[in-house]
Amino acid sequence: MTPTNARRTAGFLPPLPGPAGRRCRWLLIGLLLLPPVTAVVGSMATTGVPGSLVFSDPATWLQPLGSLTGILALAWLLLALMLSIRLPGLDQPLGGMLGLWRVHHYLGAAALLSALLHPLFLLLASAPQGPGATLALLQPMPRAWPLWTGWLALGLMLLFLAPSFQFFGRPAYQRWKLLHLLAGPAALIALAHGIALARWLSPQQAIVTWGLLGSLAAVAFFWRKGLSPLLARRPFQIDRADVLANGVIELTLSPLRRTIEFTAGQFVYLTPDIPELEAGNREEHPYTISSAPAELPTIRIGIKSLGDASWALQSVAAGERVYLEGPYGRFLSDPAHRPQLWIGGGIGLTPFVSAARQLSHIQADCDITLIYCANDITRAYYLRELQHIAEAVDGLRVIPHFYLDQGYLNAAFLRQAAADLDKREAYVCGPVALIELTEELLTRLGTPRGAIHTEAFDLL
Amino acid sequence: MNQFLYTAFVACIAGIVSIWLYAALIVTPPQAAAEAADEASLRTISKAELARHDHAESCWKAIDGLVYDFTDYIPEHPTPPAVMLRWCGKEASEAYHTKGYGSPHSPAADAMLPDYLIGRLETNN
Repeated sequence: MTPTNARRTAGFLPPLPGPAGRRCRWLLIGLLLLPPVTAVVGSMATTGVPGSLVFSDPATWLQPLGSLTGILALAWLLLALMLSIRLPGLDQPLGGMLGLWRVHHYLGAAALLSALLHPLFLLLASAPQGPGATLALLQPMPRAWPLWTGWLALGLMLLFLAPSFQFFGRPAYQRWKLLHLLAGPAALIALAHGIALARWLSPQQAIVTWGLLGSLAAVAFFWRKGLSPLLARRPFQIDRADVLANGVIELTLSPLRRTIEFTAGQFVYLTPDIPELEAGNREEHPYTISSAPAELPTIRIGIKSLGDASWALQSVAAGERVYLEGPYGRFLSDPAHRPQLWIGGGIGLTPFVSAARQLSHIQADCDITLIYCANDITRAYYLRELQHIAEAVDGLRVIPHFYLDQGYLNAAFLRQAAADLDKREAYVCGPVALIELTEELLTRLGTPRGAIHTEAFDLL
Repeated sequence: MNQFLYTAFVACIAGIVSIWLYAALIVTPPQAAAEAADEASLRTISKAELARHDHAESCWKAIDGLVYDFTDYIPEHPTPPAVMLRWCGKEASEAYHTKGYGSPHSPAADAMLPDYLIGRLETNN
């Protein structure tokens, strides 16, 4: 056993070696570069170095650019699909699901941009052959399926990606999720289009290359949408439903079969199976676990009414059934390694509540300052329990901050709360505005960028 | 990023629609073009004459009974020139319809053919 392992605190994950954010960035850069490099090198290997590309003669570069953007759009779309697999554990090296999700999101953006440019370049490239050739691309004959499948795939991509990038305002979560299912058919149709019109590869090579990428994407899609709801979701029964404040409830769940092993700060997807629920029955939503790993097999989940589904859950009763899938995320890490600063706002306190409850169970040594941000004392629904835990746990301090009394969190308040900010690992969870403000304040006060960890469930 | 993507989306769609309108407004309808190239007015080209134009400087090909002069088009074809040059001076219908591996040319390519039409291949009888 290595010394690091020996000092591990039960119920917490060890700190990741190196910043996870940087690893996400490299993964994204790698995945963004892989298709263009492969395409360009591959095309040069099969068809030789392309004839002179003359900048002043667009005819020489519009056609290759059109082909390249098409290849990139399809490759990035398939890579984004592969990353949607959401297997518990797969997100760990990247610092949690949110890091993986960000890479997926940016790949989707790159695919969409490339798919929009692809027809534009090819239409322009057809200009020297006269308007007839251009129109044949725009209004393909029914038998020219390789062409119209391209337009169809682009249409579907716009349909399922426009909400993700909020082209027409913020979409309703369920509508967005439903539209996002079109990613499957869109990729399939785009694959048919890409294989039929592959010009830089022989048909055999095209089928092998795209077939391989397509199969990996199909496996991820099929697991996520077909198998995981059946295999990865575990049934739990609601034992208690405690109202913490107006619009905030904590559910205590006991497993009907196997429980879910988790560490402090992780989250699960919860799917209620309660037909009389007013909204969101059989819809999955992510919620952070608020109980301590030491309480297993029981799991507690704090839920704030933020939308239709979480609003409907406020009125559930004991005895009902829900399904959990997870755990995901890697927000908090072992407090045995370095002193920590926790800043939580609103329902963003839940990962810290889970960690504090765990510390009270295991009585571990720690040096943690928790700043509890709320509008006022009536909205600080976990405060009393946390203060109670802090009295029992050596090294845990809880400092409330009430916005209505004290205004925005500021540098003076932070410095007073913890003098050694440059030595502390900082964890911030809450509304996006709080995270942005805190990141700016902490950076100004000397906390290194790599030591600031944030988590916001702002998935769009 | 959302703003950038939305701008790109609007710009690309506007570009595609503009090209569409432009092409639709100036195009000679394909039927009219076909009528204009009155089949009777096409010169009959013998197989021997076709066979003489078998090189990059003068590349004729017969496709479905019609003869095309592709000399000027070879540099614009997406494949390396060798792919097209192989069929100069020859009956190239099968090569055109299968591209050598079973997938046909696009309608865009079909639409380009009349621009290169120079005659009709003599029939044996």
